Amino acid sequence: MKAAIRSRTFAPIFHVAVFGLALIASPASAQKQGGTITVGLELDIPGFDPLKVGVYDTAALSASSAIFETLTYLDANGKAQPRLAVSWEPSEDFKMWTFKLRPGVKFHDGTPFNAEAYKANFDRQKDPANKCRCAFYIAGTKSVEAPDELTLVYNLTDPSVNFPSLVSYASQNSAVHSPTAWKTKGDDYNRNPVGTGPYVLKSWTAGDRLVLEKNPNYWDKDKIYLDRIVLKPLPDAQSRFASLQSGEVDLVWDDEFSADNIERAKKDSKLTVHSYTGSGATVTAFNTKVPPLDDVRVRRALVMSLDRKKMSQALTNGLAKPASNPYGDGSWVKCKDDGALPYDIEKAKALIKDYGKPVEFKKLFTATPRGRAAGQVEQQLWKLVGANMEMEQVDQATFPARGFTRQFQVIGWRIVDLADPDVQMYANFHTGSPANLAQYSNPELDGLLQKARTTADTDKRIDLYCQITRLINKEAIWYWTFQNTYYAISTAKIKGLPKMYSGVIDVSRTWKE
Amino acid sequence: MAFFLARRLLYLVPVLIAVSLLTFSISSLLPGDLAMTILADQATPENLAALRADMGLDQPIWKRYFIWLGHMLQGDFGRSFRTGQTVLQALVERLPVSIELMLLAQLGALSIGVPLAIICAVRSGGPFDRFMTGTAFAMLSVPTFLSAILLIYLFAVELRWLPATGYVPFAEDPLGNLRFMVLPAMTLALAEWPGIMRILRSDMIATLQEDYISLAKAKGLKPARILFVHALKPSSLTLVTITGINIGRLIGGALIVETIFALPGIGRLLVGAILTRDLVILQGVVLLVAAGFVIVNFIVDMLYAVLDPRIRHGHA
Repeated sequence: MKAAIRSRTFAPIFHVAVFGLALIASPASAQKQGGTITVGLELDIPGFDPLKVGVYDTAALSASSAIFETLTYLDANGKAQPRLAVSWEPSEDFKMWTFKLRPGVKFHDGTPFNAEAYKANFDRQKDPANKCRCAFYIAGTKSVEAPDELTLVYNLTDPSVNFPSLVSYASQNSAVHSPTAWKTKGDDYNRNPVGTGPYVLKSWTAGDRLVLEKNPNYWDKDKIYLDRIVLKPLPDAQSRFASLQSGEVDLVWDDEFSADNIERAKKDSKLTVHSYTGSGATVTAFNTKVPPLDDVRVRRALVMSLDRKKMSQALTNGLAKPASNPYGDGSWVKCKDDGALPYDIEKAKALIKDYGKPVEFKKLFTATPRGRAAGQVEQQLWKLVGANMEMEQVDQATFPARGFTRQFQVIGWRIVDLADPDVQMYANFHTGSPANLAQYSNPELDGLLQKARTTADTDKRIDLYCQITRLINKEAIWYWTFQNTYYAISTAKIKGLPKMYSGVIDVSRTWKE
Repeated sequence: MAFFLARRLLYLVPVLIAVSLLTFSISSLLPGDLAMTILADQATPENLAALRADMGLDQPIWKRYFIWLGHMLQGDFGRSFRTGQTVLQALVERLPVSIELMLLAQLGALSIGVPLAIICAVRSGGPFDRFMTGTAFAMLSVPTFLSAILLIYLFAVELRWLPATGYVPFAEDPLGNLRFMVLPAMTLALAEWPGIMRILRSDMIATLQEDYISLAKAKGLKPARILFVHALKPSSLTLVTITGINIGRLIGGALIVETIFALPGIGRLLVGAILTRDLVILQGVVLLVAAGFVIVNFIVDMLYAVLDPRIRHGHA
């Protein structure tokens, strides 16, 4: 653009050339209308009814972010922006949030979107009679009220200063479904979802493809470019990448465990690698109620013997970014000093010697090749300092339950990428919380967590969260291995993919050059 | 013949009972607690107890088996707790894909294996025979997941003749459907033809040494006629059996091939059901597929009788 502006000051004979240059330089004119994007995802989508599926996985989220909408969305800076809500206001204690809703929005089946419809979604998930697994994630909301057509009131059990950014992606809880649709379709609603989003479900062949078509009545249709989105489950990482190379799909989900493909794609001018390092991390919790992990010396020794760089090299070809706190590069919480224990084999050995008894324990991993690989690497590193870890592999489906019922000594876990650290930090570390896997209780930590969720000022909150991570790192009740980094690879023609917050690949506002 | 048929049908009953028992116990003995799986992060002891009672999981296993069998016999195969689809719906959607894949694979394997077997048998011990027997042996030891990826790289990524993954129903686009099916079917056929070739070759070598073949030669019949009419039919008995049993191997292969090529068939359905502990789908589909397998082999037994009169007259 700079070149174009300068040229204009020269003689008019340059006019034609300048005009051409301006066209090339201007990004706004590049957003081409029409076309189809075919996306290769890892998993079959089981469906969209929260009552049936409980939780949306990455694959379901890609579809749900095109079919459904949420009150807000996160912009490129991670700030909540209006979508189904046009404005919001907290109460003084941050326990009540009032949202003004967008007028004139309709679900794909013609049902009007309003506060009543939103409340019906919430109540359905919250109703104990429905036994929805999704209810776990809205435990912090007491009720949702609809005082009038376009006003929605969230009543929270605890203060939340950043609440609007937590309802910003089309998760099982935040995506808004048409009440008419689930009432009339019953059991079939799961596979016939109806939302307010920019795309409408056209057809769905189980295990093969889910076809979405542009919603002609969408309220913001000027910002929607593609005519059609096709989502395909391609479970095998190699053939998924091959399908991208051979041009059958335009974009594929990937992760750092297929580092080879990502490296190859980076070198290929016809392909673009999209990546986003969010907040959160892959983590491990020590059960501080059982020996030898009830001793802080053992825990510190175990943490200090892990060389994250070496682990990343062994497991992901060096792609995975080491983590020293639970917040990550993508979080607005940045600490000058996060109190991370240094990698120090000698110190670790000394601590174990000081403990005096043999250090033997079991760690839980998922029964996947990845789980085994991660386990073997840690096993080796711990052996170097004289600690014996036995791997116990449990299938993915029963893994969370083992954690929540405390049937473990050491367990691998994940802090997912959310726009605000409060929800997970409070759940993972506050005394008595079901997700307090370490079963650690410390009034100082509880006090900091409570203060962090009730403080409005961002700088003060950052300071509090840094104090919190220093305390956790010092006590070594949990440790962080790698940051959450999400990958997608597309052909170079695909443009406009937003940041993959929470790992969601949202193609609904992309275009094809 | 009627007696033979009736006796064989009677044999099916204990086989099917055994199949149902195995299906039920294997899936019930899978590691992991179904109630825990469903509840996941809400698996409090109270919730677990309530759900177990609700699903009848607190009953003894034999009682659960009979309740389940009762439902099956009434044609109620159940509904997935995850997707809300019934087993029959899922099966009707997925079965055509797998059947087509298996038919094409079997067809491919036969059309490679049979001609090669005949050529090898005719010139048994010759250089071509020795080369082909060696190749067949080598091919037998190539795992399906490897040949699948190699085929994808060659035909989809490098040459770009065929798609790497995907599917389109035959009714929607017959030619497109075949294009998607070629590579997966070829992958399975590559694993199947060596077995076919080796069996038919050795049977045929034996047949060609029979007196009636010498007689046919002495009568001056054309070599082609001797081969295809007089020698092939009696040599193909074992082949027919193998083809029937192969269906089982193909179902196993389909689990891998359908995953790699992203075909929406039974194999993918089963893999998904296992990973997510969708026991209703798993038990229902395995039972129906196993029953289908038993029935196919029953039909193969009948074909035997058609091919060899001694069997249908009860002399064998």
